[in-house]
Amino acid sequence: MSNVLRPYLAAVRSTLTAALTLENFSSQVVERHNKPEVEAAGSKEVLLNPLIISRNENERVLIEPSINSIRLSIKIKQADEIERILCHKFTRFMMQRAESFIVLRRKPVPGYDISFLITNTHSETMLKHKIVDFIIQFMEEVDREISEMKLSLNARARIVAESYLTAIST
Amino acid sequence: MILLEPHNVIIQTTLGEKIIKPSSLDVAFVDYDGVRFHLSTPERKTLLLLSMHIRCWDELVKYGALGGIAARLKPEYNVSLAIDLEQVPAGPEDREAFILSVALFKRNALAAPFESAFKSQKQLESSASGQGELMQIHYRDEEAIYVQSSPDRVTVIFSTIFSDETDRIYGKVFLQEFVDARRQPAIQNAPQVLYSNRDPPLEIRHLKQSTQYRRYGIRHLCPLPSALYRCQRCRYHLAHTAVRDYLHYHIKCSKAYMHSRMRYRVAEFQKVLNRAKQEVATTERKTVTGRTMSTR
Amino acid sequence: MSTLAPIICDNGTGYSKVGYALKLYSVFPTAIATRGPASQPSRAPPLPSKPGHLASKRGVEDLDFFIGDEALANARTPGYGVHYPIRHGMIDNWDHMERYWEQTIFKYLRAEPEDHYFLLTEPPLNPPENREQTAEIFFESFNIKGIYIRSSWSSNRVTDRTLTGTVIDSGDGVTHVIPCAEGYVIGSAIKHIPIAGRDITKFVLDLMRERGETTAIPPEDALRVAGRVKENYSYVCQDLVAEFRKYDVDPYKYFQRYDGENSVTKQKYSVDVGYERFLAPEIFFNPEIYSSDFLTPLPIVVDDVIQQSPIDVRRGLYKNIVLSGGSTMFQHFGARLKRDLKQIVDRRLDASALASGSVLKSSGVDVEVISHKRQRYAVWFGGSLLASLPEFYTSCHTKAQYDEIGPSICRRYQIFGSAT
Repeated sequence: MSNVLRPYLAAVRSTLTAALTLENFSSQVVERHNKPEVEAAGSKEVLLNPLIISRNENERVLIEPSINSIRLSIKIKQADEIERILCHKFTRFMMQRAESFIVLRRKPVPGYDISFLITNTHSETMLKHKIVDFIIQFMEEVDREISEMKLSLNARARIVAESYLTAIST
Repeated sequence: MILLEPHNVIIQTTLGEKIIKPSSLDVAFVDYDGVRFHLSTPERKTLLLLSMHIRCWDELVKYGALGGIAARLKPEYNVSLAIDLEQVPAGPEDREAFILSVALFKRNALAAPFESAFKSQKQLESSASGQGELMQIHYRDEEAIYVQSSPDRVTVIFSTIFSDETDRIYGKVFLQEFVDARRQPAIQNAPQVLYSNRDPPLEIRHLKQSTQYRRYGIRHLCPLPSALYRCQRCRYHLAHTAVRDYLHYHIKCSKAYMHSRMRYRVAEFQKVLNRAKQEVATTERKTVTGRTMSTR
Repeated sequence: MSTLAPIICDNGTGYSKVGYALKLYSVFPTAIATRGPASQPSRAPPLPSKPGHLASKRGVEDLDFFIGDEALANARTPGYGVHYPIRHGMIDNWDHMERYWEQTIFKYLRAEPEDHYFLLTEPPLNPPENREQTAEIFFESFNIKGIYIRSSWSSNRVTDRTLTGTVIDSGDGVTHVIPCAEGYVIGSAIKHIPIAGRDITKFVLDLMRERGETTAIPPEDALRVAGRVKENYSYVCQDLVAEFRKYDVDPYKYFQRYDGENSVTKQKYSVDVGYERFLAPEIFFNPEIYSSDFLTPLPIVVDDVIQQSPIDVRRGLYKNIVLSGGSTMFQHFGARLKRDLKQIVDRRLDASALASGSVLKSSGVDVEVISHKRQRYAVWFGGSLLASLPEFYTSCHTKAQYDEIGPSICRRYQIFGSAT
């Protein structure tokens, strides 16, 4: 982890850990329903204050806690249009497989690139600190992965251009 | 496979088989750039008829294709070659060369305008003034090649469209590298490459439809005379006619590569998340007689 | 540009059948040879090296591979390992499969995928996630115009233009028995049989080994020789015991010789082909001679499948049993299946007549096994017939639809000739 990134991730980690105090909470509106309140947003009293941790204008995390669920959305760094398209491809690829990532949301919250939804069932059946670890590791690696993808694209383009020009100039 | 092969594999293999064992045949297939082929034996088993439909045939004829090819027209196709299997060269090497030359049919047809451009460049060079005719080859629906010769060089302009947003961005990266790659000492002799994705280059700006080129990535390869003489001509055409397919092929390969990277990375993330799952103790409970107890 | 012919890809466990609608097909093994040993599991894609000159071609290693016959030819080249991306009819390794398709399209078909529609096949009971992944590859990597993915059973249906029937599809890796009623597959009644082409080849090899024939064959060619023997000499017999007796009485008449050539040293050798001629396909009818896990003969499986289907279509299912795939190509295969199945059916009818006290008499049930000359590549031909129909284009999912909705559009396809 680079030093510049550490305070940012530390802030996300502690906020997320603090917000992950979820309890089983039945719907107030419909009998025998139990919905993630942050998604249903039926009544105000079960929602807590949303919080934005932002590193700069391009990178930020939105954490929306509620009584039985928490939604975490990440805006990933995108410096240019190549990174933008790679980031879009990557997050879409991952969300396509949301089935196996139990806490991943199939669509991001508007304005963000990827969202997670953790409910009380998740925090009961899974180890809470490991879920936090997962989110932090994801944030750490996704930046690196995207910049590596960009590098490899450039490298490929160079090789392709070189082999083409070599073929016609010899 | 980095460079695409210039010849058509289907023609090559089919012809190779049929020379050894002639039989009746009626197949149709395609090549890049919407070229359609039809291979049949209309009269007898040993007479193969290879017909080709190519979108810009009329333009190619105008610029001097058809040199020495006996055209025999067939509906829907522009040009046909009759191959008598009884008269193919007998030696294995000659035969290989013959098959390959047939398989290069499309490439050779497309090379015609380049041939004539190089010819006229030589003439212009001796007179040291004037400009050659601007040849347009609309080889795809909305994409074209322009070839123009002037005293010191031959300019080749390709226009291409990237239908997909991702392709457009990838394409830009690739084209930029084409421009930069020439800085390498080993390939300094390669022709200079420029590209623009906004304004059409000067040479074709006067054309009526040039406004529509605003959307395209346009590149021109301007071979300098010194480079021109050093390179073998046939290789030159080979590379030129395939440049668009080459570019698109590699964009697709890069996307496939990105997919495999993403698959790997997503699997890694999955492992991290799985660590969070609690182990549920699932020990099998057995009765005295050895039967498994099951809970309902 | 006028629409170019659609491309049909039928990727099977052993062989891939690809071509343009109706006109041409080429068949090559579904194998890919990549750098790195075969046994190595999928590892991290190589990281790009610093952009350098061509001397280090690093960064495009993923383009350094062969498919099909070339892959097998390169199997012994040091540094390459052969992989089979499809197992039991299902795609197992998506990375390899994507590259396999890449080279199929660009090297063998020489098509610009952006100009073409594609028709792909899938095995019965393929999970919809697999379809989505396939669509993702074809639309995102190759930008194709449109795609239609169909199960192999329905391709068969088109070949004979009847809507009700049982399809027996036996390829290299897996055998399915699939009942279709009025064009819809009866999913609950589908049965898989874990015996297919590859097992028969192995069985042939075992038999030859027992007799000591294989000493003449170089070990690396053994499986291939067994495959040849299976394809060229085998047939289905009417009665196992009688056939054995026939061979023992006059072995010279029935034993045949197979002549081969060592692929490395070019040495000639020849082996005897004996009982395996009729024993090989026999494992469909008497599986106990080969495997100890699966003991139900094919006719009984077919009968079970039909008996599990709704009662009002059973007659149609018996009457129209369609064979498809390379492992049904044995001589007399259809006749034997028909005879065995007929016996089972007649026995059941007799029993029920007896149970009713000979009051009710059935009018009998027709059993018909249909072989046709395009049986081996029936799935491909069915697909290509379909792709040549004008409705094909309207049934495809197009790139625009994919961009709008996403891969989930491929979960549903309209069946031809049915109401929407």
